[in-house]
Amino acid sequence: MKKEKKNKIVMTIIIGLVCIVFFAVMFMQFKTIEETNIADIKYMRETELRTAISEWKSKYEDTQKQLDANRKSVQEYRKSIEKNGEASELIDKDLAESNMLLGKTDVVGEGVIVTLNNTPDCTITYFHLLELVNELRYAGAEAISINDARVVTTTEMTQVIDSRMQVSGHRIASPYVIKAIGNQTYLSSTLSLKDSGFIDRYKASGMDVKLEKGNNIKILKYNGDLKVKYMEEVKR
Amino acid sequence: MKKKQIAITLGVMCFILTVAISIQLKTVKNSNSTAAQSFINDGLRDEVLKWKERYDNAYQELLDSEKQLTQVREQATQNNTTANAKQEQIKENNMLLGTVEVKGDGLEITLADNNAAATGLLDPSKVLVHYDDLLQVVNALNNAGAEAISINGQRVITTTAITCEGNVIKVNGEKISSPFIIKAIGSQGLLLGAMTMAGGYLDILEDWGVIVNVKTVDGITVEKYNGIINYKYVKRK
Repeated sequence: MKKEKKNKIVMTIIIGLVCIVFFAVMFMQFKTIEETNIADIKYMRETELRTAISEWKSKYEDTQKQLDANRKSVQEYRKSIEKNGEASELIDKDLAESNMLLGKTDVVGEGVIVTLNNTPDCTITYFHLLELVNELRYAGAEAISINDARVVTTTEMTQVIDSRMQVSGHRIASPYVIKAIGNQTYLSSTLSLKDSGFIDRYKASGMDVKLEKGNNIKILKYNGDLKVKYMEEVKR
Repeated sequence: MKKKQIAITLGVMCFILTVAISIQLKTVKNSNSTAAQSFINDGLRDEVLKWKERYDNAYQELLDSEKQLTQVREQATQNNTTANAKQEQIKENNMLLGTVEVKGDGLEITLADNNAAATGLLDPSKVLVHYDDLLQVVNALNNAGAEAISINGQRVITTTAITCEGNVIKVNGEKISSPFIIKAIGSQGLLLGAMTMAGGYLDILEDWGVIVNVKTVDGITVEKYNGIINYKYVKRK
């Protein structure tokens, strides 16, 4: 009789323990499943990750290309030093390239021409030009001019009197012809974006805006002094 | 009687366990797709890091090669005055292009969102700094003859766009946020006069409630552009 009772108690305890273990395992599992659900956020970001990859990749490729070009130049200079040459051809080439980047030479290329006209509803201000240039830069414009005044890094746009303006020191007036060289499709599609693009935004407020594409746009060089007066290079 | 009770209890327990297990198996099956997804994303994340690392390495090498190039240019032209002058011109161009770090007397402007004032306002957007405010300030600095400008470490160069994507302001494609520290090198007198002019753009911003601070700094450092100026469409005529 006593033995039977003892057996029963042992059985109950064993069953109880097994049950506890079962439940514990189950809860653990539920928890892991809940955690993997966080992966949803990751799932939403897949496109973002893909864009990041292509961005870094193209940055890397550009850097590598520039690096190869630099290394080649360094070797050419070294050769010229060994031969006691004057390297004048090399330096001329480099200076011409550097002047082009700065805007000191006339350039040609594909791009867009935007024409802005004053209308009774909308007078064009310096800020319109500032915004347009900013948007063209965003779309990857490599050279920009407004009524043949080249826009460089330090170009300012100011209102002179009423509808007259000053750009890079040139007095200009409506109609404003803004030329930009860069990827034609990208430039025109950025400006024509529905609602957020420059054209849609200002057509709505009555501005006269025209956009043309061109395959051989000529942009004149910067017509002023680009000199360093107040700064010096920090050597590291 | 007691045996029956135990049997029923065990039976119910077993039933609950079976149901729970089958429910779990199903959820596990469903969540398999997200698990696989996160696996793909981990792969993508690794790839992002891989390309970033490659870029960082290449960029570091590029900086070294630029230094070397300047050195060999100096060396190659040291015996020829004309060539040497051209070499100096390239160096000056680089300062203007923004591809080297520069130092000089200038101005430091701080613009910041006025969060304390924003809480009680109907239109808090007035006391915040927007991308067009930065455009205006850069334009005003250029008008006062600034030679080099940077915003939160991003050098303003000829291809720099200042844009707004949602709540984020981007300069050179890099995200920046308030407070905005704008550094400019040029004639201190001209810069300070233009920026602190009554009715000038900073004056207007301050009136709206944006936090504005202007100070002259001797020997201010303006960072170099940390990218590559790489033209694909323009050709010399």
